[in-house]
Amino acid sequence: MPTFPPPGLVEEFCDHVLRHDFPDLPSERRRSTVAFTVRRVAGLPSPMKLAVTVVAVAVGALGRVAGTHRLVQLLAARPLPVLGEYVRLVRSLAYAYVWDTWPDTTHTGRPAAAATPAGEARPSVAVSSA
Amino acid sequence: MNVTRHTELEDTRLEAEVLVVGSGAGGATTAATLAEAGFDVLVVEEGAAVRQGEVVPFSLDQMDHQYRNGGVTAAVGFPSIAYTEGCCVGGGTEINSGLYRRPPEEVLERWRRRHGIVGFSTEELYAICDEVERELSVQPVPGAQTAPSEAMRRGAARLGWRHEEIPRWMTYHGAGDARSGRRQSMSETYLPRARAAGARVLAGIRVDRLVLDDGRAVRALVTTADGRPGTIDAAHVFVCGGAIQTPALLQRSGLRHRIGRSLAVHPTVKLAARFDEDVNVADDVPVYQVKEFAPDLSFGGSASGPGLAALALSDSWARFGPAIDDWRRLAVYYAAITSEGRGAVRALPGLRDPLVTYRLTRRDRELLGRGLARLALLMLEAGATAVYPSYRGAPVVRSRADLATLTGTFAAGRASVMTVHLCSTVPLGTATDSFGRVHGTANVYVNDASLLPDAPGVNPQGSVMAVAIRNARHFVETVERVS
Repeated sequence: MPTFPPPGLVEEFCDHVLRHDFPDLPSERRRSTVAFTVRRVAGLPSPMKLAVTVVAVAVGALGRVAGTHRLVQLLAARPLPVLGEYVRLVRSLAYAYVWDTWPDTTHTGRPAAAATPAGEARPSVAVSSA
Repeated sequence: MNVTRHTELEDTRLEAEVLVVGSGAGGATTAATLAEAGFDVLVVEEGAAVRQGEVVPFSLDQMDHQYRNGGVTAAVGFPSIAYTEGCCVGGGTEINSGLYRRPPEEVLERWRRRHGIVGFSTEELYAICDEVERELSVQPVPGAQTAPSEAMRRGAARLGWRHEEIPRWMTYHGAGDARSGRRQSMSETYLPRARAAGARVLAGIRVDRLVLDDGRAVRALVTTADGRPGTIDAAHVFVCGGAIQTPALLQRSGLRHRIGRSLAVHPTVKLAARFDEDVNVADDVPVYQVKEFAPDLSFGGSASGPGLAALALSDSWARFGPAIDDWRRLAVYYAAITSEGRGAVRALPGLRDPLVTYRLTRRDRELLGRGLARLALLMLEAGATAVYPSYRGAPVVRSRADLATLTGTFAAGRASVMTVHLCSTVPLGTATDSFGRVHGTANVYVNDASLLPDAPGVNPQGSVMAVAIRNARHFVETVERVS
């Protein structure tokens, strides 16, 4: 049975967003963050999941034409309606995971000197709302 | 607390005199009231039973185990509004801030007047509040406050703005400082009471729909978390799944009249404030709230762990991102408004979850911007050296001079708007009679946040519990029992 949104689409897009936003994030951490994001997107409420599927397919198609890296650069510079919400969703999940899991990550994704070895998760500390 | 998990059930064909769907502030109080009055009560909860201490408060781990959809839920609109729902034994009371307020008298008066609710006296409701406050050990923090809480108090005091410590339902140990509290959530209080009086509590059971025959619910069709179908036959059904799931279940059951059309929330916008000293507290929220501009606007503090701090900075990451390198000096705060907008909950054929929408009015959008600017000022007065508002294109606010830029560039459509207070989707006196019985039915009752006729302007759990206990007592006094 097919899963929605197709995990490969979200995975590729998230990977590019992370490479763009956090150029120094070690690859093991990036992979772990992408996996988390894909898992959370798969658990969205069904109407949101349908909407994300439509947008992810459109972004995937645009990415094949223009290049996903260029598309992410464009969306980072000029958030577009609907597409911008997709970027925001992926970012919010990924950012929360990175700093919840490795709190001593710097803003470029580099593990701080005293941080745990790359890929080794610390105990979960915090993420939620008001 | 002893809860039966779905995996322990040999037979998924169950019977009860009263079925209570949901185990949060409404469901748990309903179950305790009815069980103590001698009814045979079965509580079913879709989520799992998680003991206090098993997960870190306000962590991703907690969101995995106790939030619906892992905490990633939103009301669609311009902008969309992120919200969270509890999905565990005890419901939202297991994951919220634990702050307690009675429903304000003017709010009760408004509800009585506009919705024609009968037998809704302030005296009766406040007498119930007295009981609830004793049961939950509602009290101020006896010892030291946390640094972000103290910052909020300091800023408000310097500006001469009205502010107050909001009591919490906690018991405290040792020195009684803010972080030593033990939550007196439903799994610690009303659910054990219900069980002691004979109620059964089953976790991991989702009610898909109610089967109605001539306006009377005769059966609930359910699915266990491991996918087994089942049925529950009951003489009376109380739907207490919260302001999103309750109307969705009623709609799936064919009950749609005035149901799910009037979602009310307290929309909030956030900022991160940087101080010269360590202020970050990952596992707790500040207890001070600023009420100078209430009821339209109120300010408070959020959980601020590094994940949340990064989230608060993410809308303008290129400029704000470096602040995360020093997250221990960051704390996150919110400005909440009393919204004139309304939303809707719609169960869609073939989809498991409902579509939730919300529309902010122009006044709401302006108020969010004004609130964020005032909150930024409050943080500067509290000693923040930099303030990072959560919207795309926001300036870093370092002095009062920057506030004009904030006001000039804010647009709600670019902000990360969120809420945790959802209510009013099955309003008392409108979609139900004055005691929660759904119009057009003989034995289907709603008894949770869905009933509150509009957003009360304060943390709503106290209002939900008072109304739920009142309605459950009325049921006990008036229902004709089938022998």
